[in-house]
Amino acid sequence: MNIRTVDLTRKFRVGSSEITAVDRVNFEVDGAKFIAIVGPSGSGKSTLLNLIGLNDYPTSGKIFIDNRDASLFSGSKRRKIRLFRIGFVFQTFNLLPTLDALENVELPMSLAGKSQKEQREKAVRLLQNVGLGDRLYHRPKELSIGEMQRVAIARALANDSEVVIADEPTGELDSKTAKEIIGLLFDINRKRKTAVIVATHDEKVVEVADTLYTVRDGKLWLEQ
Amino acid sequence: MSIVAIGATTSRYISIIKEMHIYFNGKVVIVHKRAIVIEAFPIAGEKLDESMAEKVKQEVAGVENAVPMLFMYGEDALQPLPTNLTIGIPFGNWSVLVGPTPLKPRGHWPSADSIENEVVVGSSLSDQYNLTVGTKIKIEDYDLKVAGVLDTSSALLSRLIIASLELVQDIYGYGVAGSNWVNLIVVEPVKGVNIEELAERIEEAEIGNINALTEEERTHHAQPLINNIETWTLGIRSVLFILSMIFVTTVAMMNISERRRDFATLDAIGAPKSFVFKMVITETGLMGLFGGVAGILLGSVAAIFLVSFFTGIPISLFFPGIFDITPPYLMTEILASTVTVTCIAGVIPSIAATRMRIAEVLRAEY
Repeated sequence: MNIRTVDLTRKFRVGSSEITAVDRVNFEVDGAKFIAIVGPSGSGKSTLLNLIGLNDYPTSGKIFIDNRDASLFSGSKRRKIRLFRIGFVFQTFNLLPTLDALENVELPMSLAGKSQKEQREKAVRLLQNVGLGDRLYHRPKELSIGEMQRVAIARALANDSEVVIADEPTGELDSKTAKEIIGLLFDINRKRKTAVIVATHDEKVVEVADTLYTVRDGKLWLEQ
Repeated sequence: MSIVAIGATTSRYISIIKEMHIYFNGKVVIVHKRAIVIEAFPIAGEKLDESMAEKVKQEVAGVENAVPMLFMYGEDALQPLPTNLTIGIPFGNWSVLVGPTPLKPRGHWPSADSIENEVVVGSSLSDQYNLTVGTKIKIEDYDLKVAGVLDTSSALLSRLIIASLELVQDIYGYGVAGSNWVNLIVVEPVKGVNIEELAERIEEAEIGNINALTEEERTHHAQPLINNIETWTLGIRSVLFILSMIFVTTVAMMNISERRRDFATLDAIGAPKSFVFKMVITETGLMGLFGGVAGILLGSVAAIFLVSFFTGIPISLFFPGIFDITPPYLMTEILASTVTVTCIAGVIPSIAATRMRIAEVLRAEY
C-alpha cells in the first residue's frame, strides 16, 4: 500500500484564532517500513496520523492512496479502506467496554462480513500471537493496560491491514510493557510485512525504526 | 406507565359502559324524556309512574310484557363514583335483567311470600363485604337479608343489589302518597314484532312524557360519552407519548455523548454508518420494549389503585381480574407503541452517533 501526501495542511479554528496543526507536509509510506514520527505534545503528530489514516479531512493539500486522490473518495470508500487496509492503535486503546477481548478482535471481521467461524478462529490466533491466549473472554476493565494495548494491536490486524497506524501506543504504559509492545509492533512489521507508522515520544521506538521523522509546529522533517 | 394507568383506568369505565349495552337486547326501554341515560340505565332526571307499564301492555299493540324497574345508585359521600347499584324488579321478572346468570349454591331469588326483606347481591359485593346467604345487611335503615349471590364476573351485575320493586321503592322513597315511581320500563315485544315500529307506537300512545329507546338509540345516546372519554384519553396519551419521545431522545443523546469515543472508534475501524445507526435504534427500541413491560406492570398496578380509589372497591378484588383492568389488547398496543416511539425517538441520536469522528473526539479530549 502506498500512501503519499502533497502539501498536506490541516488548520483548526479555536475561538478567534486559527491553528495550523499540520503545515504543508509531504510524506510517503511505501512498502513494509517501520516509521517513527516523534515530536512534542501538540506538535501535530496525531492530526497527521488521522489525516493519512483517512479519519480526518485536510484543509488543503492532497493524500494519495496507491496514487489515487483520496479527496475524490466517497465516505463509504474511505470507510472500506479503514476497515480492510489500515489498522489503528490508539494511545488509550479505544476498546469497546461491553465486548470481551475476543469480540473486540472479531468486530472488524464481522463488519467485513466474514463468517462467525472464521472470525472466531482468527481472533483466537491473533490473541494467542500477542500473548493473550488465556485472556480471550476478559472484558477491557478486567485486563491490564498492557493487555488492552495488545488486544488493540490484534484488532488492528484482524482484517490483515497493510498499514498499522499507532498513535503513541506506549504513552500509557510502563517502560517494561512499552518495550514489549514495541517488540510486538516490530515483529508485526518484520514477520507480516505490514507497514507500521508510530507517533511517539519513546526513544526505544526511535531505535528500531527504519525511518524517523520529527514534527515541530506542524512541519515534518526527515531525520534518517 | 402513566399511559398504561390512564388507558387502563378509562378502559375499565368504558368497558362497564359498553357492558351496559348487552342488557335488554331486543327490548324497548322506556325512560322519561328528561332522563339522562347511559345505554339503558337512567342516571338522572325525571321519574315515571309505575302504572305506565300496565298502560303500555294494554294500549300498545305488539307488547308481550312491560316490566317497571327502579335503578338506583348506592350513595356514599366518601366515594367519587358510585360503587353499589340497586335495582328493583317485580317478583318473578328477575331474568329480564340477569338473563340466565345463576345464583351461587344455596341461594334463591327473593320470594313474595317471605316475611323478610330479601335481596340478591353481586359477587364482588359479596366478596368485599363477606356476604353469604342469610347475612343481614342494612340500607337506609331497612334490614335486609341476603337470599342469594349472583355467580358472575360481570362488572355491572357483580356490584348490584337486586330486590323487589316494592322494597326498593320503599327504601328510596319512590312509593309515597299512593303513587309508585320507577325510572325505566323494559318492554318485551311479541315475537316477530318490529322493534323500531313498536318504539314509535309506544311514543305515540300518549302515555306520558317519555322516550322509548331501541337498542340502536340507546347506543346512540351512550356513544357521545364514550367518544368524549376516548378523545380525552387519546389526547392525554398523545401528549404523554410526545413527552416520552422527548425524554427518550434526551436520554439517548446523553448516552451517546458518554459513549462518543466508542462510536468514534467504530467509525475509525471502518464500521458503516448503517451499522451504527441500527445499533443505536436497536438500543432505544429495547429501551422501549423493557420500559413498556415495566410500564405495563407498574401502570396496571397504578390503574388498580386508581379504580379502587374512585370506586371504593378493595384492591384485592381487582387483582384476580387484572386482565379486565389492563386487557391483553391494551398491553400489546402499549408495547407496540413504546417500541415504535422509542425507535422514532432514537433517529436523531442515531444520526448523531454516525457523525462521531475519532479525530474530533480525541481533539476534544486532549
